Amino acid sequence: MYQDLHLIKRCKKCILSANFPRIKFDENGICNFCNNELLYTTENSEIETSRGEVEKLFQDKSKKSEYDAIVCYSGGKDSTYTLKLAVEKYKLKVLSFTLDNGFISPVAFKNIEKVVSALGIDHITYRPSYQFMKSLYRISSIENIYNPKTLTRISANCNSCISIVNITALKMALEKDVPFILAGFTLGQIPSNTIYYQNNYEFLEESRKPILDKLKSQLGNDVSKYLEITDSLLKKSENYPYNINLLCLEDITENEIIEKILPLGWVKPADVDGCSTNCKINAFNNYVHNYKFGYSPYELELSHLIRKNLLTREEAISKLFDQPQDQIDFVKAELRIDEKDLKMSN
Amino acid sequence: MNTLTITKNEIQVALLDFLCRQFYVDLDDIILDKSLIDTGIIDSMGLIEISSYIKKNYGFTVTKEQMNRQNFGSVLKIVDFIDTTIKTI
Repeated sequence: MYQDLHLIKRCKKCILSANFPRIKFDENGICNFCNNELLYTTENSEIETSRGEVEKLFQDKSKKSEYDAIVCYSGGKDSTYTLKLAVEKYKLKVLSFTLDNGFISPVAFKNIEKVVSALGIDHITYRPSYQFMKSLYRISSIENIYNPKTLTRISANCNSCISIVNITALKMALEKDVPFILAGFTLGQIPSNTIYYQNNYEFLEESRKPILDKLKSQLGNDVSKYLEITDSLLKKSENYPYNINLLCLEDITENEIIEKILPLGWVKPADVDGCSTNCKINAFNNYVHNYKFGYSPYELELSHLIRKNLLTREEAISKLFDQPQDQIDFVKAELRIDEKDLKMSN
Repeated sequence: MNTLTITKNEIQVALLDFLCRQFYVDLDDIILDKSLIDTGIIDSMGLIEISSYIKKNYGFTVTKEQMNRQNFGSVLKIVDFIDTTIKTI
């Protein structure tokens, strides 16, 4: 049942709420995540080790590929900064790629144009059928498609979208023999020990199979087109690319990120919710997540940033509460979802 | 950590502690001979996390060929895999 985010009891140090899985509060109102009883946090030494290993991977990269990296570029602040890091700090030859999910803010699109022009890089926008995306979002919203474990740190719709981004980026990397795929995730958004890893599609595909089967039963064979990779393409490359989240190696606040990307022409969109800087479906995604689980999918990420002193608790609360109703209503109408659908999905 | 002297029981205790904390589950939730994915303890990203845990704590990288159900199909299989591998490196 939908919870009023303003009324839920929250940890006094971070913003994890009483509805978050396995949460407990001590006598001072501090949660067991802040008290380090749960969730391995990434130590600075671990980040330092990953930094060295990522730099070594970049140094040892093959020179024969047309591109060093595919950068998954949403137009939001984090992926914009990741793109800047890839080009300017790591001197990589990049191909940036945007998935147009049909709900990207027009301001974000302008940002993408300005940033790729300023950085002088090649760019591809891929837009799957709007009908398919709407059907995918509808099913992800009202059916229980994903492992609840996955949904502790991401909404079902964001997970659907990011799955297409990941698969499309992997296809492009395999087709062009590109050794790296870069994304703009921060620690907190992704598990702490996945700053970089080598893809292993076959094994992960096996674990994804129940999810794909559920989606196919609802959406048909288009699911394969957008969320699977053919054997012939998999056999084309001897080595799978590494996925690397460069932003996890940086000790930088949100304001500092914005300061760094403003000179590229980036402008903060006003038509998105407080937790997004590019996507107009996000407020709805958060609403659905709240309806199903009683907490925001951003609680874990924002709480991590608070613990790392990269965001204040007040800033995090402000983002969490900034969920414009008009954006939620717009998406509900687009996806033809009403309160009854959401109630039945619980 | 001296991986040569570590026992299988110690590997299992450490792995279970990692799983409980990283995936915030209770020990009772984990069925030792069942797939962690099938029982909802982890998702596919969890397999990557366990690989990273192995690398950090036992000093070897799980290869693409090693990442299969035979080695990762349950806690007991993961423990066997770690135990066998550290004795051969």
